[in-house]
Amino acid sequence: MRKKLLNMVAISLMLVLAAGTVFGAGTKEAAKETTVNMFQLKVEIKDAIDGYAAAYSAATPGVTVKVETLGGGADYGGALKAKAQAGQMPDIFVIEGRGGYDIWKDYIADLGDQSWVADTDLAFKVDGKVYGFPVAIEGYGLAYNADILAKAGIDPAKLTTRAAYEQAFKTLEARKAELGITAPVSMAASVAGGMWWVAAQHNLATYWGGGLDFNDTSIIEMALQGKLDDARFLQYAKYLQLLFKYADQKILLNGSYDDQVGAFAQGKTAFLHQGNWVDPNLKQLGVTFPIGYAPHAFLDTEQKGLYLFAPSWYCVNAKSPNAEAAKAFLAAMASTAEGHDYMVNKAGMIPAFKSVTLKPAGQLSQALMAANAKGGNYGVFFGMLPDGAGQNVFGPIFDLFAQNQNNLNQFIADMKKAVADLPKM
Amino acid sequence: MQELSRERTPMKKNSTVNIVFLAPCVLTFIMIIIIPFFFGLYYSVTDWNGVSDDVAFVGLKNFRGLVSSPDFIYSFLITIAYTLINIVFINIVSFILSLIVTSKIRRRNFYRSGFFVPYLIGGIVLGYIWQFILNNILVKIGTTYSIAFLQTSFLSKPNTVIWTMAVVNTWQYAGYIMLIFVAAIQGIPSSLMEAANVDGASYFHRVMHILIPMMANAFTISIFLTLTTSFKQFDMNMTLTNGGPATRFMDAPVKASQLLAMNIFNTATANRMAEAQAKAVVLFIALLIVSLIQVSVNKKKEVEM
Repeated sequence: MRKKLLNMVAISLMLVLAAGTVFGAGTKEAAKETTVNMFQLKVEIKDAIDGYAAAYSAATPGVTVKVETLGGGADYGGALKAKAQAGQMPDIFVIEGRGGYDIWKDYIADLGDQSWVADTDLAFKVDGKVYGFPVAIEGYGLAYNADILAKAGIDPAKLTTRAAYEQAFKTLEARKAELGITAPVSMAASVAGGMWWVAAQHNLATYWGGGLDFNDTSIIEMALQGKLDDARFLQYAKYLQLLFKYADQKILLNGSYDDQVGAFAQGKTAFLHQGNWVDPNLKQLGVTFPIGYAPHAFLDTEQKGLYLFAPSWYCVNAKSPNAEAAKAFLAAMASTAEGHDYMVNKAGMIPAFKSVTLKPAGQLSQALMAANAKGGNYGVFFGMLPDGAGQNVFGPIFDLFAQNQNNLNQFIADMKKAVADLPKM
Repeated sequence: MQELSRERTPMKKNSTVNIVFLAPCVLTFIMIIIIPFFFGLYYSVTDWNGVSDDVAFVGLKNFRGLVSSPDFIYSFLITIAYTLINIVFINIVSFILSLIVTSKIRRRNFYRSGFFVPYLIGGIVLGYIWQFILNNILVKIGTTYSIAFLQTSFLSKPNTVIWTMAVVNTWQYAGYIMLIFVAAIQGIPSSLMEAANVDGASYFHRVMHILIPMMANAFTISIFLTLTTSFKQFDMNMTLTNGGPATRFMDAPVKASQLLAMNIFNTATANRMAEAQAKAVVLFIALLIVSLIQVSVNKKKEVEM
């Protein structure tokens, strides 16, 4: 009896396995033309990239590009791991920084010989070698509602030091009722609202890169060794305290992304701590007032630059037989008129390539593009931190500081301790 | 072939059929539960990051790290606290509900299904609904009528947040446990209650001395269910509080409502698969020990009819 059962189990197992290999082999051989599979995480460009991939496939005989999108809070990294384990690693996939590179480096092809490399400053590089195609330029400063500032008599061009900000916030706070605002700043820092990244990732990045040369990573290198620059961090902490103090407290402590962006869009705050990715949201909310970017000037000395970065990069799967077709697809995106039209007009992104002359429609994107052309901007280096440092370590520290805004010393002590533990992560 | 089958006894035929029908289930069970379970045990003593092919054996390093990590210890303790609160809340509430819907109250069938409906709402959806109620509606009521304690959301107070979660979980789960109690109450011969009534026992006495002892086995089941589900709570935790707000524990900022399952999830999504797996093994062992103790203690209190 028992033997029979075992036999049955064994036979059915073999049947399943055999079926798997037969069908698995079948699909691969049956495909005459090359299919490039792309797996990306920007939900907001899904329709645009699907359209571009279809047009590219139609125009390129023998190549079909298929795009799969997963993102918007879904676990892209987990899904990619599942695909890799299942032997379905896509030909083009996305990494978001050094952490992703370290995990996937066995799969990542060297792109140093590609034509677009000379056309961009933001390619993903490790030890001088190019491994990633920059998806877009994103960036941020402190977005302002120009109408409200004008009514309050504040010149945004003068917001270049912490002292200037303090003065501006005080003026706005005093005239809240008259201006129809609930608070000067729309800022979010809560773990609960899923907004830890605004404070503990983007705002903290001003400490890593603000006021330095665009490629100067000395401050974050120091942190990766476990040390903070005390004098610089004190200035940063004071700036953060200022933002927290003059923020809408409900949004700060509990608000979601929609709450934060919504308050600014409705004219209930004068400033918004978000990047140019909110352009589509602002358009959706029917914003008509003029918007611009002021720098995050946390130092005692003047700072005029915005923070620019490529949030993610496309990587080509080195182990795939379709790697060349995948590289050609990316090169076309960077160099053809259709590719430029897709990136700027369809997807609403700021391309990281200097040869692109089209202008994006969003006000914040335009402000960033102008800043990029002008130069003097700062780099964003949080991607160099170990995975999980932002969400699991810095996130709660910033949340706690938002709850106890007067306890500046405790915040500095907590951050010092957390940074000291970074080398061990 | 035909001759063969004619020779078979009915008993033999039956067992072949059994095997054929069982095989898919057994196979699936082995493939998605048993094998991953042992793989999990293995990965918890390695440095695997979820992708890399070279997996190095690191012994108990992952487990030793857990003992000194404030966020894990906090999550462990808060999960135990949350489970205890839940066991008390859910069982008391659902017991009262089951008494109500088995009494002679009018429309009791309507109440029965009404109390059960929250259980049918998925934890994700339910978390968002209650987040809106707690963050927006209650705060609005608080500011409109100047009720001080409602003006800040219960979800942003580190000390009350797990109580709030327990209340929401009770709202969802009580209807389900109520059904178990209702079935148990209906299984008790009504002659017992009637006899006690004739003897002059009050309603309270009848409940305490007849109903509760007679339905002890239902309590075994319901406490087991509430214990295991609370210990493994994830979906509602994720959508309702996302682990927030932050609080201070062992001189380190930690997430005040990050239960164990969510701690494991957040570790895993930070590409620390082996460490997350070690945490999962700890969760499994803790849950195993606690539930074995609970069932054996409760079993002793059951009465045979």
